[in-house]
Amino acid sequence: MPHLALRGLTVTTAGGRTLVRDVDLDVAAGERVLLAGPSGAGKSTVLRALAGLLEEDVEAEGDVRLDGRPAVPGEVGLLVQDPLDALVAPTAGRDTAFGPENAGLDRPRTWRQVARAHAAARYTAGRDREVRTLSGGERQRLALAGTLAADPAVLLLDEPTSMLDAATAAVVRSAVLDAAGDARGLLVVDHDVAGWAPHVDRVVVLGAHGGVVHDAPVRQSRPAPAGTGDLWWPGVPAPAPLEVPAGLLTPALAPAPTPGTGDGEVLRGRGLGLVRTRRGLRPRPPATVLAGVDLTLTAGALTPVTGGSGAGKSSLLSLLAGLAAPTSGTLLAAPALAGRRGRRAPHTWTSRELAARVGWVPQFPEHTFVAATVRAEVAVTASVLGRDPGRGEELLEVLGLAAHADANPFRLSGGEQRRLALAGALAAGPALVVADEPTVGQDRSTWAVVAGLLAAAARDGAAVAVGTHDARLLDALRHHGTTPVHLSGGVRAQVAA
Amino acid sequence: MRPRGAAPGAGDVHTSVHSTVDEPVGTAARAVDDGLDDGLDDGLGAGVGAGVDAGVPPTAAQRRSAGRGPLVRHCGPLPLLAVALLCALGAFAVQSWWQAAGALAVQGLCLPLVVGDVRAALRRLLPLALAALSVGWSVVLAGDDPDPLWAALTAALRLLVLVLPGALLLGWLDPTEAGDHLAQRLRVPGRVVVAVVVALGRLDALADSWDQVAAARRVRGLGPGRGPAGRVRWAASTSFGLLVDAVRGAGRVSLAMDARGFAGDGADRRTWALPAPWRRADTVLLLGGTAVAALPALLRVGGAFLTSTT
Repeated sequence: MPHLALRGLTVTTAGGRTLVRDVDLDVAAGERVLLAGPSGAGKSTVLRALAGLLEEDVEAEGDVRLDGRPAVPGEVGLLVQDPLDALVAPTAGRDTAFGPENAGLDRPRTWRQVARAHAAARYTAGRDREVRTLSGGERQRLALAGTLAADPAVLLLDEPTSMLDAATAAVVRSAVLDAAGDARGLLVVDHDVAGWAPHVDRVVVLGAHGGVVHDAPVRQSRPAPAGTGDLWWPGVPAPAPLEVPAGLLTPALAPAPTPGTGDGEVLRGRGLGLVRTRRGLRPRPPATVLAGVDLTLTAGALTPVTGGSGAGKSSLLSLLAGLAAPTSGTLLAAPALAGRRGRRAPHTWTSRELAARVGWVPQFPEHTFVAATVRAEVAVTASVLGRDPGRGEELLEVLGLAAHADANPFRLSGGEQRRLALAGALAAGPALVVADEPTVGQDRSTWAVVAGLLAAAARDGAAVAVGTHDARLLDALRHHGTTPVHLSGGVRAQVAA
Repeated sequence: MRPRGAAPGAGDVHTSVHSTVDEPVGTAARAVDDGLDDGLDDGLGAGVGAGVDAGVPPTAAQRRSAGRGPLVRHCGPLPLLAVALLCALGAFAVQSWWQAAGALAVQGLCLPLVVGDVRAALRRLLPLALAALSVGWSVVLAGDDPDPLWAALTAALRLLVLVLPGALLLGWLDPTEAGDHLAQRLRVPGRVVVAVVVALGRLDALADSWDQVAAARRVRGLGPGRGPAGRVRWAASTSFGLLVDAVRGAGRVSLAMDARGFAGDGADRRTWALPAPWRRADTVLLLGGTAVAALPALLRVGGAFLTSTT
């Protein structure tokens, strides 16, 4: 029975920064272990070390053994965090075949293994499906199948459900647990201890300053152990949203109440539709993403946009933020927000007009930082528009980023990057704030910052649209909010109130 | 010319056109597979459900053969690459406008065998036409030729002869299939093949990434300015952002690949999930394409012979 053991792992970068200090960890055969820890504690580094795949430019001490011997490549299977990175072939079948090909299996065995892996991961969309047409949940299950196809003795998963809505996450979680079975060891990295606790044998918590601060089974009744304050421990209520000084986020361009448009209306969409056609040499058939969506965003109110994976949330939000043009219907801002020549449709605004009105927090803000330091990143929009840069500085203080003001944004931890993205979007005082899944995969302290900033933006008079599947966030923002826009298959669906 | 190990019908273009590819290939491979019950069964616990095809699927060329389109759809990637390359080399023999015109005329006659969608082909050839015009124009401007117009025409036509076959043929290239053939037929090392195929496959991701970076910059007030200089500056800074993101993404993908057994000697001892059969259509394309590629040289030799005898 394979038993994975890690002893005395310490990893230091070439620059002398310690990523992980003195970590011991065991995963027995058939055992299910959750690895948690605050943002930046080195969870991903521990996974890479266990898989024998540390970067080449780091110094590592310590010892990884599988049954007392070094692991053979492929025995320890690692599934990376973003399924887009994990998938390497254009079709589902060929992607899953990648592991068996590397193991040198012949063709009939390869394809038999592919079929088994698809069944084990509950991937049911078919092996001929093109990977890019899969939904988030299907993609995650296909990525899991790709890891299972190599038939590893131990399965290491980096936040396999953090990008998924609750229902899809539950399906993927049960696929993971079934696939691990009784013989395989399973190690999952996740912030969401509450979600995994009922299904795992042990929870191991890394400390912010190295070492393991907790290694025991979780019981609902007991209080959260010391050192786990930033984790979503079962039974611990969501933290209070961050207190943001009043007036810090007041819009620079306030939409004056105008007769005939409704009081404080900022943006009104009627019959919004979006059909995507792919340009290029090998065009794709057009896909209807949104159809006939009506909504109104009001100053001082927060409008949640909800719906399952692939329901069109992100597409609707990018329309609201003026990043794409609807292919049918009309989307008009309040007359007070009109751009040059009275243009009121957000996608017709120039870059500066857009920046003066809209703050946008994309789903993966770490891909889109525009400046070389944290301070410059926050100041960019205000300085382009000639607005007061003081707000950005104050936001850095409030969000606890002031100490990193001269750091490169890419050097920050995931949670810090998320705060920075929010600060950058809000620093110039937008009248409309659009955020796409701003709390996904965040620990409690960053979650509190996100919830606090969004609530404060609405309180100070901005119209806020938030795409989210985070029930805690919906709950925390409820008394700032209006009726959620619930999408199902690109259409606004009725929700029972 | 039926290759070893290929499924029935794979070697014969004409039968596979009329059969539904999934049926014969799938069942044949399943029959092979059922006789081969190995130790892997224990590994993945869950069995394969009913109705799930666990056999070897058809190759990309077999799928294309079963569909509609011009005749070149039956061909695999190697003759496509070879003919594109040979035609480019052959164009260097062009010395005068009539040789180029003759070669171009024959290439034009072959177009119906290659072009399925005329509008897509025209879109693809537009940059080529612009390039030919600009080459011709620069020859006129250089003007050191006694007869600049004819020299310009020769230069422009030569460029067309050089690039036209490649521009159209390579549109039929499927990167994954090309990788299978390069590795199995030409013994190109697996590490190189997989790296190139995965990189090509991520060009789509790069396009999405460009959209994201461009959108984020626009909404932060860093969109392109009005003038051309501003646009160039904007494109340069956006490309830089994209480059940073692409390098970071490449690191993550290579980690994912290594985690699936690509690290170490897995890459060099790997097998390939689909075969790389050489089919009759491949031979036809290679021979025909070589003849077209040799045309400028033949015309040149023939022309020299005629002028020497008169």
